[in-house]
Amino acid sequence: MTDNQKNINEGAVSYPELLSVSPSPHIKNPDTTQSIMLRVIIALLPACMWGVYSFGLRAAEILVICVASSVLFEWLFQKIMKRKNTVADFSAALTGLLIGMNLPAAAPLWLGVAGSLFAIVVVKGLFGGIGKNIVNPALAARVFMFAWPAEMGLFTKAGERINDLSVTFTGADAIAGATPLASLDAGVLPEDVTLFDMILGNTGGCIGEVSSVLLILGGIYLLFTKVITWHIPVAFIGTVAVLTFAFPIGTVSVTDFMLSSIFSGGLMLGAIFMATDYVTSPVTAKGQLIYGIGCGLITVFIRYFGGYLEGVSFAILIMNLLSGYIDKVTMPKRFGGGKS
Amino acid sequence: MRFTFRGGIHVDEHKNTAGVRTEILPAPPEVCISMSQHIGAPAKPIVSVGERVLVGQKIGEVEGLGCPVHSSVSGTVKSIALTFTPSGRKIENIVIENDGENEIHPDVKPLGKKLSECTSEEIIEKIREAGISGMGGAAFPTYAKVSSAIGKADTVIINCAECEPYITANHRLLLEDPMSVINGAKILMKAIGVRRTYIAIEDNKLDAANKLEELVVDSDLFEVKVMKTKYPQGDERQLIYALMGKELPTGKLPADVGAVIFNAETCAAVYNALSTGMPLVRRIVTVDGDCIKRPMNYLVPIGTRISWLVECAGGFNKSPDRMIFGGPMMGQAQWDPEAPVVKSTSALLMLSDEQVCNSIDDPVCIRCGRCVKNCPMHLMPCYIAEASRTHEFDACEKYGAMSCVECGCCSYNCPAKVEIVQSIRVAKAEIRAAKNNK
Repeated sequence: MTDNQKNINEGAVSYPELLSVSPSPHIKNPDTTQSIMLRVIIALLPACMWGVYSFGLRAAEILVICVASSVLFEWLFQKIMKRKNTVADFSAALTGLLIGMNLPAAAPLWLGVAGSLFAIVVVKGLFGGIGKNIVNPALAARVFMFAWPAEMGLFTKAGERINDLSVTFTGADAIAGATPLASLDAGVLPEDVTLFDMILGNTGGCIGEVSSVLLILGGIYLLFTKVITWHIPVAFIGTVAVLTFAFPIGTVSVTDFMLSSIFSGGLMLGAIFMATDYVTSPVTAKGQLIYGIGCGLITVFIRYFGGYLEGVSFAILIMNLLSGYIDKVTMPKRFGGGKS
Repeated sequence: MRFTFRGGIHVDEHKNTAGVRTEILPAPPEVCISMSQHIGAPAKPIVSVGERVLVGQKIGEVEGLGCPVHSSVSGTVKSIALTFTPSGRKIENIVIENDGENEIHPDVKPLGKKLSECTSEEIIEKIREAGISGMGGAAFPTYAKVSSAIGKADTVIINCAECEPYITANHRLLLEDPMSVINGAKILMKAIGVRRTYIAIEDNKLDAANKLEELVVDSDLFEVKVMKTKYPQGDERQLIYALMGKELPTGKLPADVGAVIFNAETCAAVYNALSTGMPLVRRIVTVDGDCIKRPMNYLVPIGTRISWLVECAGGFNKSPDRMIFGGPMMGQAQWDPEAPVVKSTSALLMLSDEQVCNSIDDPVCIRCGRCVKNCPMHLMPCYIAEASRTHEFDACEKYGAMSCVECGCCSYNCPAKVEIVQSIRVAKAEIRAAKNNK
């Protein structure tokens, strides 16, 4: 060793007492489950803010209560089951936010809490926690909350803001035909809202589903940050578009009917944010296309023939159950072949 | 359109040493030469303690698949003892105290013949005697690869992809001594009897690609193929697919689809062995990582210990958490600072805990599907890993675990930090063990 090098080495940092030895790869992408969930939450925020702007502070109250109760139930459940605390992965917060977005602003607060309890404990926790649930917890909770149809139907008009946080409503307060879906089901275009209103979110509906444009904006953010791929939303919305274009109800303009169908109800929220839930959707690209098309078919089927005006939640839940099978039948062809 | 393949990932390149000229490593005080330098049987020492050995002198001989081992310094044999290899096996190592004389053994002399006068057998024997094995990573004895390719391969591919982050050993070699690579390839072509060579290089090394292009412009034997920079482009399957459009069938060798692949530095070693007679006793090693003060490429005698490399590179500027031979994606973590460089050691990386990702307790797959999208072998890694975790190894085999090349793309991109590739390695070992017990 030269003197020069000796000088460089003086006062040098030495080897640590223990080096880590672990299997390769030694470096990893900085993305985590937490950062992905956070990105989905960020993508949902514009649509939430629109909901609050359109329906009043009561909407914000519902969202906050749903998020808080979901997180609390997750923490409690993991604690009671002596499992790892998973509150920090933000998946419970996301579930809570989605539950709130699926409620009308006039819904009673206890309904959101009951929905959160069902989603976090029954659908997620009892099946083994994050990654193990077979259906989307927020959607299952939405269907669970349909057990109170009067409360779930407490839609208010856009712009009629409810700013009183302690007010309660009864079924009589529901504004009949406030959502465009009801008109479409009858084969007419909604009278009081234009297509532009529907795209912007100037209609009645659940807190988070009304503003298609902001939901699409969130979806673009998720595509851009590589949280989701285009397959599920495009296949889902595309299928609904094709079917409503091919089989319109009533005598309205085909294009108007098709556009009103895709920009009304929970389709955007469902196709972009709920159907793309990792845990309950297929992992292969081909599988995601099949899954999206399936969601679209069932949605239109229920909208046309079912007793409920909206079919998005049922469609996604049914396809959730098929995800595992879809993965198996769309297993990619192995590089270099080889028998399975 | 650049050549590429489907799947794979982009990793931060960290090619910090790409612009730094390779230096000759200051002579190490001693070298520790492992008798197991590559795949195949370990060599048996043919020198004894106290004996004086010279540079290029054969000190280990092997029977069966494998090639001899030579001294990389002149000096006295200090000890011959069993020590652990990086992979955890116990292997004989010959420790030689360097006298600094660099006296070359009289057997080291040029072939003294024109290449056109050499027979294929002569060249292959010379390559074996020079102890040359693959210097890219997998370390297969080169003579065996050459003989198995005769009559089968019609194309030689020189693998200069160097797709692992940090490593620039091949890049620097191609810039500083490209003729040795080209001449080595000519020798290999002559030995195998083919008249076409692709020089495969990623587009993050366009300076080297342009230089090679200039050098081979008059030759109809060579074609420089520039590929997209993507990991694991250097894997032989992905390389063949990118350049020739063929999928190497599972369980087959590249020669079965007409290709034979050599690392760039292996070619240079072949040229050196035939032109000067010097066996493979030195190689270029990239010494890098965020803990290394002076990241550098060194020409290193085989058997140099990690501690000496670190000292020569200026020591640490912060405490390392992990010490890796090879790249961060597929390299092996070392635990002993006295571990020696072997013929396939392309890099020594010292990474701090800010750079490495340590395993977390109880990771849970969220089925995001990134591993499926990234897998260059088009497998469903998350399914194999889950089946492996629950010890359903038959299911792992059904999902194609044996096709896994262990590139680590799945684990790298997993947001849940599941050690996917390690679970697949476990499954592969179990499947192999079950087969052997039958």
